[in-house]
Amino acid sequence: MEYIVKTENLSKHFGQEKAVSGLEMKIPKGEIYGFLGPNGAGKTTTIRMLLGLMKPTSGRIEIFQNDLKQERLNILRRVGSLVESPSYYPHLTAKENLEALRKIVGVPKQRIDEVLEIVRLTAAGDKKVKGFSLGMKQRLGIAASLLNNPELLILDEPTNGLDPSGIIEIRNLIKSLPSECGMTVLISSHLLSEIDQMATTVGIVTKGKMIFQDSIEAMRMFAQQSVLLKVSESDKAWRTLLGRGMKAGLDNGIISLPEQSDENVAETVRGLVADGFSVYRVEEERRSLEDIFLQMTREEQAG
Amino acid sequence: MLTILKSEWFKLRKSNIIGILLVGPLIGLGAGIGADIAEAAGMMNEWYMLLIYMNLPYAVLFLPLVTGVLASLVCRYEHQAGGWKQLLALPVTRGKVFAAKYVLILLLVLFIQLFYLAAIVGAGLYKGVADPFPAAIIWKSILGGWVAAFPLVAMQLWMSVWFKSFAAPFAVNVVFTLPSILAMNSEKVGPYYPWAQPFAMMYPATENGDIFFIPWEQLMTVIGGFFLLFYLGGYFYFQRKAV
Ligand SMILES: Nc1ncnc2c1ncn2[C@@H]1O[C@H](COP(=O)(O)OP(=O)(O)OP(=O)(O)O)[C@@H](O)[C@H]1O
Ligand SMILES: [Mg+2]
Repeated sequence: MEYIVKTENLSKHFGQEKAVSGLEMKIPKGEIYGFLGPNGAGKTTTIRMLLGLMKPTSGRIEIFQNDLKQERLNILRRVGSLVESPSYYPHLTAKENLEALRKIVGVPKQRIDEVLEIVRLTAAGDKKVKGFSLGMKQRLGIAASLLNNPELLILDEPTNGLDPSGIIEIRNLIKSLPSECGMTVLISSHLLSEIDQMATTVGIVTKGKMIFQDSIEAMRMFAQQSVLLKVSESDKAWRTLLGRGMKAGLDNGIISLPEQSDENVAETVRGLVADGFSVYRVEEERRSLEDIFLQMTREEQAG
Repeated sequence: MLTILKSEWFKLRKSNIIGILLVGPLIGLGAGIGADIAEAAGMMNEWYMLLIYMNLPYAVLFLPLVTGVLASLVCRYEHQAGGWKQLLALPVTRGKVFAAKYVLILLLVLFIQLFYLAAIVGAGLYKGVADPFPAAIIWKSILGGWVAAFPLVAMQLWMSVWFKSFAAPFAVNVVFTLPSILAMNSEKVGPYYPWAQPFAMMYPATENGDIFFIPWEQLMTVIGGFFLLFYLGGYFYFQRKAV
């Protein structure tokens, strides 16, 4: 598989603290990679190293299949980024901010209007950025990251400070980038719901370690669903099911059946009804990704 | 490199620097207008006398101090709101960013020197100095002062990249600039003290065969040496700085 970003045993220590340790990140081309982890997990530190803003303590980084150490300039020409809180020059207007960057990346002037339009900041283009709200600064940061038509876009918590409609706008924008512009996107967040709605691949990091990395579908599979039954005489019904050699759990008068096909559920219900139990409710328990995430990070901490 | 320099100039241009460029020459102009140069009449070219009077506040204090202010200015907007990380994540090398900022300050100092030249002429005209204008000597003084600022600019850029605050590099600058008043008068220390060099290099002397008003060896060793030391110090600090 062609990886746009690939790290090998990437580590960064601050004194005793291991902010990132042994990270093996793999981002396939054209994916939206959700980089997920609680506060202080090491997401920003990893991103800083990917951009060469910070030197790794050990390990290797490959972007576009080139070594970052050797090909930094050629790599960065094809990367757009937004790291942590938005960066800006307060004494300049939004347009002037972009112009200062444009002079270096060398794209045509009209690209400034294009990116302002993309993040819906055209109207505020001639206002000084020091008067901007947090959300407007964030939009400007996203505009700046798009300026050079990057092939790899790295966004660190891009929806920070945006209002709900802004979040939806940016989310739709990010979702459209791989298909419309052929971009690969790395987006970090501590909010699972956000990654869930955008990402196609997920990497979960906690305490500097990658504890999960796979497609979002694989992550959802992790959320083993079970079927819950509410019946009369639940204790007796449960034992009947166990007697038939089925795996079932009983919790608070609710019977739970681990992953079952539709037929199996129908069969079970038919059996219970035939045995004279009343079946009040049959429902599917869908563990939210939130639960999985919490469970994963908890397991990591325990282990 | 040129593109970075253009971008730097663009950012700086929008932050009211014209006032800062004019302060020194105006101080010089004031000193020139207030100077009592009549006593020199007949003994030496009155332009020399005027220059010496004007140089005192300008070359001893103002020129060294303004290098610090300019260095702080070109770093301030990077410190303010994450400018460094945005700039250094672009396809630029740190060495070139550092060099661009350095060259930009040097160009500004050159402008200040040219304004100062205008101030000298202005003060002379106001005073009605009748002696012939010693163009060669005055140009030597103007350009000499500029060259003498090279190591100071490097030192101040180092400090300004390092410290986020405006005050810290400025304090460092004052601490080194003030002793130059003493160093200047000392035969032993004066020639080796970097902050005393602007005055030495702007002080008009009669033809001595050297390109500037200080001996060639002093130019190469003291100014050249400290320039290298400060520039490399700042350069390597900046290379390793985590942003
Ligand atoms: N410059 C630094 N010096 C010392 N420690 C640091 C530095 N930068 C980060 N750390 C530490 O590294 C750890 C990881 O921080 P990092 O900013 O990468 O977390 P994060 O995953 O981005 O968190 P958040 O969701 O809050 O943004 C933290 O414990 C932090 O204290
Ligand atoms: Mg972070």
